[in-house]
Amino acid sequence: MKILVVDDSKLARLTLIKTLKEYEPSAEVYEAENGAIAVELFKSENPRVVFLDLTMPVMDGYEALKLIMQIDPHAQVVVVSADIQTHAQEQVLALGAKLMVPKPINSEKMVGILQQLVF
Amino acid sequence: MQTDEFSSDHLDVLKELMNIAMGNATASIADLLQAFGTMHIPHLTITDMDGLKKYIDEALKYDEKYYVTKQLFGGIIGGEFIFVMTDESAANLGNYLYDVSQPNDADIMDAVIELTNILSSTIISRLTEELKTKVQFFAPSTEIISGNHLIGDEDTLNYHKIIIVSTVMEFQSHKISGQIFILARDETIIRLRELIDQKLEELYA
Repeated sequence: MKILVVDDSKLARLTLIKTLKEYEPSAEVYEAENGAIAVELFKSENPRVVFLDLTMPVMDGYEALKLIMQIDPHAQVVVVSADIQTHAQEQVLALGAKLMVPKPINSEKMVGILQQLVF
Repeated sequence: MQTDEFSSDHLDVLKELMNIAMGNATASIADLLQAFGTMHIPHLTITDMDGLKKYIDEALKYDEKYYVTKQLFGGIIGGEFIFVMTDESAANLGNYLYDVSQPNDADIMDAVIELTNILSSTIISRLTEELKTKVQFFAPSTEIISGNHLIGDEDTLNYHKIIIVSTVMEFQSHKISGQIFILARDETIIRLRELIDQKLEELYA
């Protein structure tokens, strides 16, 4: 199963991938450090799930989410952000994200996420 | 009439809201570091640029090197979140999070930025939720500078009257600590006062 992890922080990507691999050891993980790279990788690799940060240079998560949903309206995008504002959550859900989860991701949150996605 | 004067009630409300927001942030960082952390009670001051420089001089050592991460936020309220760590604390953070004894500079920088992003986003977004407003966050950036260079000349143009919210975050088991400064722009002080008035009206209704 292909998974795309998008965050400008290498640490955030590593933390998420390490937690993800505890539950999906066979996952084929692709990494992107901004939204523009993420959109390109989404086009070329067609991942099952995208974990997407919001605050990034070059292209932020909102813009990337919009473009990803245009490419595939059924894309499963999980927004992972420390921005816990209600309006941020409403905005990403309106744009088509499946879930929005506060940073940092731990095992408990990952189990919750995986249970809500369709594989 | 628009005014930037804060009464003791305004300061009290803001301090309590910051306490709540910082409690949330401590929990998020504790999750990241898998350790028990403490956040000191925030200290709030309204001052000008000279006052800020004096404040920074007292808070930081003049000739010590610091990792300074700044993140701008904008909207109805806007300003700058600054997180300051000593060299040693930043190295300990990189060491712990990357699980290596000698993390390289890029890894340390990355760890400091991510920690700051979680801190600032959690604190500011919780504050805006309490005040029923919203902000947008911009990508943070880090530089290594000495204590006396924390506030550059370019900042002087942006801030005339400033609210400084400062506190210390400590994770003693990992020897990681840092100082937080939140600088609010002139117009934000007026907006904050109005939002706090609304909050007070709701409380007393």
